Amino acid sequence: MIKKKMKSLVLICTLCLSVSIFSGCGNKSSEEVTSTGKDSLVVATAYDAKSLDPHAVNDVASSNVMTQIYETLVQLDDKGNLVPMLAESFKQVDDVSFEFKLKKGVKFQNGEEMKASDVKFSFIRASKSAPIAHIMGDIDINSFKTADDYTVSFKIKTPSTGFLPSLVHTGGSILSEKAVTSAGENYAMNPVGTGPFKFISWTKGDRVELESFKDFHGDKPKFTKMTLRVIPEPTNRVIELESGGVDLAYEVSSNDISRVTENSELQILRVVDNSTQFLGFNTKKKPFNDLKIRQAISYAIDTTSVVNTVWRGVGKVAVGPIGPNVKYSDASLKVHEYNVQKAKDLLKEAGFPNGFKTNIWTNEKKERVDMATIMQSQLKEIGIDAKISVLEWGAYLTGLAKGDQDMFIVGWTCQTPDPDMAVYAPFHSSKMGAGGNYSYFNSPKVDELIVKGRTMKDSDERKEVYTEIQKEIIAQAPWVFLSNGEQVVGASKSVTGFKPSPFGYHVLYNISYK
Amino acid sequence: MDITFYIIFHINKKYIDTEGYDNVNLSIVCYNFSIKLGGEKLKKYILRRFALLIPVIIGVTFIVFTLMFITPGDPAKIILGESAPAASVKQLRDEMGLNKPFLVQYGTYLKNLVVHQDIGKSYVTKRPVLKEIADCFPATFKLASLSMIFAIAIGIPIGIISAVKQYSWFDTFSMIFALIGISMPVFWMGILLILLFAVQLHWLPASGFSSINHMILPAITLGAQSVAIITRMTRSSMLEVIRQDYIRTVRAKGQKESVVVLRHALGNALIPIITIVGLQFGGLLGGAVLTESIFSIPGVGRLMVDAIKMRDFPVVQGGVLFIAITFSIVNLLVDLLYAYVDPRIKSQYS
Amino acid sequence: MDLIKSVLNNNSKKKKSNQLLETWKRLKKSKLALVGFVILIILFLVAIFANVIAPYGYAEQNLKATFQFPSAKHIFGTDEFGRDIFSRVIFGSRISLEVGFIAVTIAVIIGGLLGAVAGYYGGKIDNFIMRSMDVLLAIPQILLAISIVAALGPGIINLMIAVGISSIPGYARIVRASVLSVKYQEFVEAARAVGSSNSRIIFKHILPNVMAPIIVQATLGVALAILTAAGLSFIGLGIQPPTPEWGSMLSSGRGYIRDYWYMTMFPGLAIVITIFALNVVGDGIRDALDPRLKN
Repeated sequence: MIKKKMKSLVLICTLCLSVSIFSGCGNKSSEEVTSTGKDSLVVATAYDAKSLDPHAVNDVASSNVMTQIYETLVQLDDKGNLVPMLAESFKQVDDVSFEFKLKKGVKFQNGEEMKASDVKFSFIRASKSAPIAHIMGDIDINSFKTADDYTVSFKIKTPSTGFLPSLVHTGGSILSEKAVTSAGENYAMNPVGTGPFKFISWTKGDRVELESFKDFHGDKPKFTKMTLRVIPEPTNRVIELESGGVDLAYEVSSNDISRVTENSELQILRVVDNSTQFLGFNTKKKPFNDLKIRQAISYAIDTTSVVNTVWRGVGKVAVGPIGPNVKYSDASLKVHEYNVQKAKDLLKEAGFPNGFKTNIWTNEKKERVDMATIMQSQLKEIGIDAKISVLEWGAYLTGLAKGDQDMFIVGWTCQTPDPDMAVYAPFHSSKMGAGGNYSYFNSPKVDELIVKGRTMKDSDERKEVYTEIQKEIIAQAPWVFLSNGEQVVGASKSVTGFKPSPFGYHVLYNISYK
Repeated sequence: MDITFYIIFHINKKYIDTEGYDNVNLSIVCYNFSIKLGGEKLKKYILRRFALLIPVIIGVTFIVFTLMFITPGDPAKIILGESAPAASVKQLRDEMGLNKPFLVQYGTYLKNLVVHQDIGKSYVTKRPVLKEIADCFPATFKLASLSMIFAIAIGIPIGIISAVKQYSWFDTFSMIFALIGISMPVFWMGILLILLFAVQLHWLPASGFSSINHMILPAITLGAQSVAIITRMTRSSMLEVIRQDYIRTVRAKGQKESVVVLRHALGNALIPIITIVGLQFGGLLGGAVLTESIFSIPGVGRLMVDAIKMRDFPVVQGGVLFIAITFSIVNLLVDLLYAYVDPRIKSQYS
Repeated sequence: MDLIKSVLNNNSKKKKSNQLLETWKRLKKSKLALVGFVILIILFLVAIFANVIAPYGYAEQNLKATFQFPSAKHIFGTDEFGRDIFSRVIFGSRISLEVGFIAVTIAVIIGGLLGAVAGYYGGKIDNFIMRSMDVLLAIPQILLAISIVAALGPGIINLMIAVGISSIPGYARIVRASVLSVKYQEFVEAARAVGSSNSRIIFKHILPNVMAPIIVQATLGVALAILTAAGLSFIGLGIQPPTPEWGSMLSSGRGYIRDYWYMTMFPGLAIVITIFALNVVGDGIRDALDPRLKN
């Protein structure tokens, strides 16, 4: 009797469960895009976006999505020159003033037309945003003038040559004032832009669905649906690419590259990006305040073998603070010499013939941990006993801002085409500590050069200033430059029109299928 | 998955007799049996269980709050990014109330929880925590359910057969097989399954969670742990029951062996098995963090780990609270089912 | 008085030695448990003599000999830094056993004490302690471990603490139940009548009875600790390089699994075998202690 009751109970439970599970799936699988027909694009990305509000975040994953939805006033062409996007024409009136004439008849994805008021609204909002303060924070919000619906002019507080090019960053996206004000706090999940793709849905941690925007003012995209899937495991991204589950896979890891290139149905597209991984010294702390110690360690580390072992052909050995694809990068710089004897001699001169104990901080990113591991053993050869502390990102940032570190491995990305961003925050004395100058580097000479460079107009003289900056920073050795990253994207052979960007987030709407 | 969630333990006959049971040799000691149950009605029992939940919940929030408080790392800094100016970071901290002393922050949280039933908004997405969890829960629930179904469908039959054919080859093999299930790290098994079924054989997709096909591998991976536990539990429980006198009686009456096993033995043996299944299920709902990572499943476990890394305190708090309450409810349901099904316990309440 | 005391003492001593022998005899009967036991002994020996057995150091890098397949020179191959995987697995046994045992010891001592106090004194103390245990139990174990490691910082010691703390409730419950079952037995009442102090009763009479289920739970607990540590390494928390912990070796090898399967195979097998052995021995002890399975 009991058993009967129980059995039926169990049966009912199982039935309920099955119904709930399978009914849930039924809906999903019918509407979702699993296979890649010619009319859709599925991309495997490594991280989920944090927000789709360009003023709320500053991370590559969010920008990956936002760059399909929004447009900026200006963009870069193939040669790296600034050309119009939403602005029909633009002019730098003086050191601090800019004027833009906007394209007419550009529609937002909510049907409204883009006007100068939207630009004013977007930029004022952007200037108040903390995550992109280093790009948009200098705008003078009281200086906006909108002569008519399609003309807008404003000033920035201090002269900066890098400001105009930095407007290509997603932080300079133009938002619809109406959409933002009516959505209020929910705007991040309901983005509205002028770009070729409009937002459909976002399943957190899983995927973002976009659809082509019918009233887009430019060239219509050649496919209708775009899905950006989140697949954190690198192996899985490539597996999905191979099985046809996705058309593109971002951040292909080094050991999968040959697998993709040898696959006749796939291709690899790559570009060295603007990120630099480095081993920094806390120049405020003994003994790293002594240049000889820093130079000794620089000689003791064989950066070429570190990079080759860890990155296995992805990226390049870094030679200086300005990455190879950023303007005014000095192409004549060479990899730092690896010379154990010189290192030992310098150590002795500095008063540490038997080496010393120290700490290398890093976060849990595998490549950084691996680089630390190799450097640890290389440093042992000159008597330096380095303990590795793998800190979790949150704790790491806090610690770096406090200045407790000895040596630390971290990366810095120049997010704008202009070299100022590559050197200002990491090396200017006003940014020591929480500002981004984690080496507490303080050189009046470099300070002066940096300030000079950021206000000069593009010219040979400006180039010389940045050459000088690079030379001086290398000589002072606040960092051991390790590697420049590389964007490695795997794609199906039928994909054309895709060019990975050194900024780390890529435009997808130009893609077509062969 | 977690063996410490239950304890298999002999209860000394004397102890049982003082409580008025007899012959309950294999039992799960849950805290409810430590409360003297003599003569209370069922409703009162349920109410009491719920009432007891409240201090547990408060305790959980306290522990999680304390842990988050002492964890280094500033949520404001993480949210705003490395390039954010220090002034903005400080301003955000003030807005979030992070500069107030511990007790004030905790008090505010509790007040919001109890008075307004508000568990706050995520620091990162600014959406209500409840919505964040609600978005992730279906995936976790589906995964847990499928894993359980898989575990039960395999575990119980194998357990029964092993018990009936004790010491046979089948028995030994199935026990070893079950043991391997518990011994293999979940993430390794997951990766191996992906390699075999997705890469080599192309039978199943490697990641994602949008169709039944996608759920098979994760369910097997997660279920493997539970299969092992359920198989062993079924086996030992059946072994217990089969030796009883009343089984011998039924056999003597001339019943077919299958009827003996399936109706009489299994019926009585199911009791502790149900308890285990319930506990396992509750545990799985806690977020199979590792499985979700490998298969890119957007579930509660992943949500929690990401929230911890981002110092998204409200989400961590809300998530753990949610899991704790769910687990307690599952616990309660299992105990009720147990009590309902076993007439000896049922008689205590009527 | 003294006569009664001495009788009590003798009783408990005889009980203990008889129990031990009997348990051992019954344990020997299960072949599987014996196999597990042997494996564990080998593991212990490997851990103790790791220095002698391992042909290379566990941190010895050879950047020119990376990703070598298993060969005569490197039985298990080399990893991404050219380190010998066999040596790392050997040294890894030390780490895993350390983590397992220390974590369990922390849990047993703290949990056991809490459980004993709760069971023995009963009443409000009992209630408070067990409710606190419920609170700990309500938080999923791996999340608790992750939070603790995030709070305390990285490193093996914090890993052990994290795993240990999350295991406390289990032992508290066991000890408490054991204490409860024994509390009302005659010899305890007799001991109290004779005037033994509470703590004396706990230590001399109650604890020996508790040992049995604790040992069972502990062997399984060591297994769980090793798995949790491996899981944490997998997420990226806990182990500092170049520590050769099996879980972190699995984790760092998983990116290469399609080409260099041996990087994950051997640490993975090591984990499986160790945990298998622990489980089997745990089961064996449990079965051996179960009076009803005597026949």
